[in-house]
Amino acid sequence: MQRSAAPKSPATGLAGFGRRPLQALEAKGRTIRDPVEKLRFLRHSIERFETLDERLQVLPGAPLRWVAYRLTGVAETRPLFSKNPWGALDPPRRNRPPLPRRARRTVNAAALLLVAAAGLALAGYPLRRSELAPAAVARPRPVPTAETKLDPQRSGLAPERIWLVDSGAAFELYSNGLRIDTTWAVRGEPRRYRVFTLGGGMGEEVQDRPIGIVYHTSESDIWPLEESFNEKLRDSSQDLLRYLRRNQVYHYLVDRFGRVYRVVEEKDRANHAGMSVWAEGERIYLNLNGPTIGVSFETRWEGGRALPITRAQLEAGRGLSDYLRHKWQIAPELCVTHGLASVNPKKHLIGHHLDWARGFPFEAFSLPDQYRVESPAVRLGFDWDDRFLAVMGEPWPGATLAADRLATEAAARGRSLDEERKERVRAYDRWLAELTTDAETAEKRAALAKRAPSGG
Amino acid sequence: MADNKDHLWKAPEEAADRIEDLVRSGSHPVGIDVGTSKVVVSRRGGKEVACASQLNAFIPVPYSPVTERTIQQQSDIHYYRDGDELVIFGSATERFANMFNAEALRPMADGLLNPKEKQAWPVLEAILQSLVPKPRSSNEVLAFSVPAAAPGRESALTYHEASLRQHFTSLGYKAMAINEGLAVIFSELEQSNFTGIGISCGGGLCNATLAFLSIPSIMVSLAKAGDFIDRSVGEAVGEHATRVKVTKEEGLDLSKPPKDKLEKALHIYYEDLVETLVDTLRRAISRAEKLPKTERALPIVLAGGTARPKGFRELFERTLRSRPFPIEVAEVRMATDPFTATARGCHIAAMFEK
Repeated sequence: MQRSAAPKSPATGLAGFGRRPLQALEAKGRTIRDPVEKLRFLRHSIERFETLDERLQVLPGAPLRWVAYRLTGVAETRPLFSKNPWGALDPPRRNRPPLPRRARRTVNAAALLLVAAAGLALAGYPLRRSELAPAAVARPRPVPTAETKLDPQRSGLAPERIWLVDSGAAFELYSNGLRIDTTWAVRGEPRRYRVFTLGGGMGEEVQDRPIGIVYHTSESDIWPLEESFNEKLRDSSQDLLRYLRRNQVYHYLVDRFGRVYRVVEEKDRANHAGMSVWAEGERIYLNLNGPTIGVSFETRWEGGRALPITRAQLEAGRGLSDYLRHKWQIAPELCVTHGLASVNPKKHLIGHHLDWARGFPFEAFSLPDQYRVESPAVRLGFDWDDRFLAVMGEPWPGATLAADRLATEAAARGRSLDEERKERVRAYDRWLAELTTDAETAEKRAALAKRAPSGG
Repeated sequence: MADNKDHLWKAPEEAADRIEDLVRSGSHPVGIDVGTSKVVVSRRGGKEVACASQLNAFIPVPYSPVTERTIQQQSDIHYYRDGDELVIFGSATERFANMFNAEALRPMADGLLNPKEKQAWPVLEAILQSLVPKPRSSNEVLAFSVPAAAPGRESALTYHEASLRQHFTSLGYKAMAINEGLAVIFSELEQSNFTGIGISCGGGLCNATLAFLSIPSIMVSLAKAGDFIDRSVGEAVGEHATRVKVTKEEGLDLSKPPKDKLEKALHIYYEDLVETLVDTLRRAISRAEKLPKTERALPIVLAGGTARPKGFRELFERTLRSRPFPIEVAEVRMATDPFTATARGCHIAAMFEK
């Protein structure tokens, strides 16, 4: 709590310490009639607890601290320590008055005596160093840096059970260590999509549950990860979040410090994948905004690859991915990058957007290498052009694989590859038209239902 | 308002409710509730605490020497001239709005300075100046109320708070901002050691604060309050919001069945407001990261002009008890004077800092 300059009341005194300090504070507070005096008494007592808490925190040795906390009961008062005791947004800053010299001397002397006593007590034990295991050497933790290598440790691990451990006004904490900041979360449009199959076309059933994850790069300004750029690093993330929230883009953003922000609620649709195609077995999904959850890493696709993400981002992204897969029972085959799924529907080309078109650490996320999976879009007759090759150099292996298969199937049917492609993209165009009409009809119905008078 | 506009004012010391008249001698801390609908000041006058208020509204009328002379003949009208307009502000605004069948304008919206209103700051400054005299000694403490930050409106609140602080500091006060709900707790929950929930239902916002032993733990604001009711009812029944407000304040009884279409609409929107308020509070408490442990049930106190209609307390309690609430509630009661509770709480905070 910020220290007040208000004079202390000599008449009321302060609450003493004990096992139940809050009870004592309440009891004594009730005896004071004047509201200002009462306020003074309560605030100054809480300040006193806060000061004591600070002093106890620097006591040497955890057992000693534990005993001190038990004796004073000060831990009970901690939720009352406030940096903003008047509840205003920008309270005036005040400097804490320094401890009186005499008190400082007393605290230092007490700490010195305690350390000496603990040292003497330890000296009483027989020292048999040779029988003891070598003490673990504390190593400095590596500073988060740009992540270039993948951690193969988790390859093949299935997500463990993950549950919500704690939540507050602006966060959710999960058992796998994932902490989601919900400050920026907004509702999106309701999810609504259909599944297609090669034989049956558009499915009858309207779906509203996410079944996949699409990984993105944020394509925002990326400042060097150095202390001198702190302000830029902070501001660019905040600006990005503001933009994403306003436009309901992505469900999650993982910033460069590994903080996970929810942007659009998972059960709602966010804008992230646009025109895109992916498939799992026979089930084909068009326009992945409906069926998938968008997870974006704060980085940029540049020069044919994503700029390296940080170790903190990698760890946080894995935790988030595991949590989403666990919560929505998402098949690993349906966790894909935007670059792999994005298409240009008019030109029938793959790679309309190319974020994570290479370099996404699938293995570290315990996911199959989707770069090697046959491209569903190519199987639907999509091709790539010179612009694509200028950026990528060559298609990812899954695209080549799908093109080879398409050529084989065309040959088996006695057609040229071009003819086969044309027939398949015609089917895609038909599906897309059906999907668009279906979405428009649903929108009209929803609008009519809204306008219709209730009751009656 | 800038000093160079002082000459345009009708001498404010003539105002009957000027707080300075209530102060006999000495210098005293001041508490001020800067609300969307009203500005209320609390200060010690002799042995008692005295409150004065002004409507936080204005109405511009075309300037003419005749109009100005007519206004000057009436002692309770505050105004200043701005080019070819006379800006009438404060409590007289309502009379003029009814006279011209026009809507009164507000320098504040949703609890904060109205960014869309050109006259917002000059009018608010004039209203504050009509209520708060210059301090008699330097560093006299003045505590003013501010709403809790609504998500996404933090920067607007920072601007609002800083503007007010700057204004009062420039007058010579040592200014401090205090959360509106907390101020209600200070004025009304002294018996329970400033522990409980204080709710202020004003014109632009409803503010609720949960405090333990005077320390705020949860603060929420809801952009649905008196103005929302006036506007929504006005739209539903085709009336000016100003007229709806008058009907609402002239004796709406929420405990009795509505008598006409307008009252029916008022009942509907009051129910909606209370439902949303209780839900907001319920959610905020459920999601709170850490709350001090308490074994006792907490009191809730209701304040603010929007909470004044008869039956409001019962409606609130009924809604609250209709579904589980995350903390045990001992009682729901009205503030002794709902209208001045926030200002009186600010006054207590100012006296603390004195």
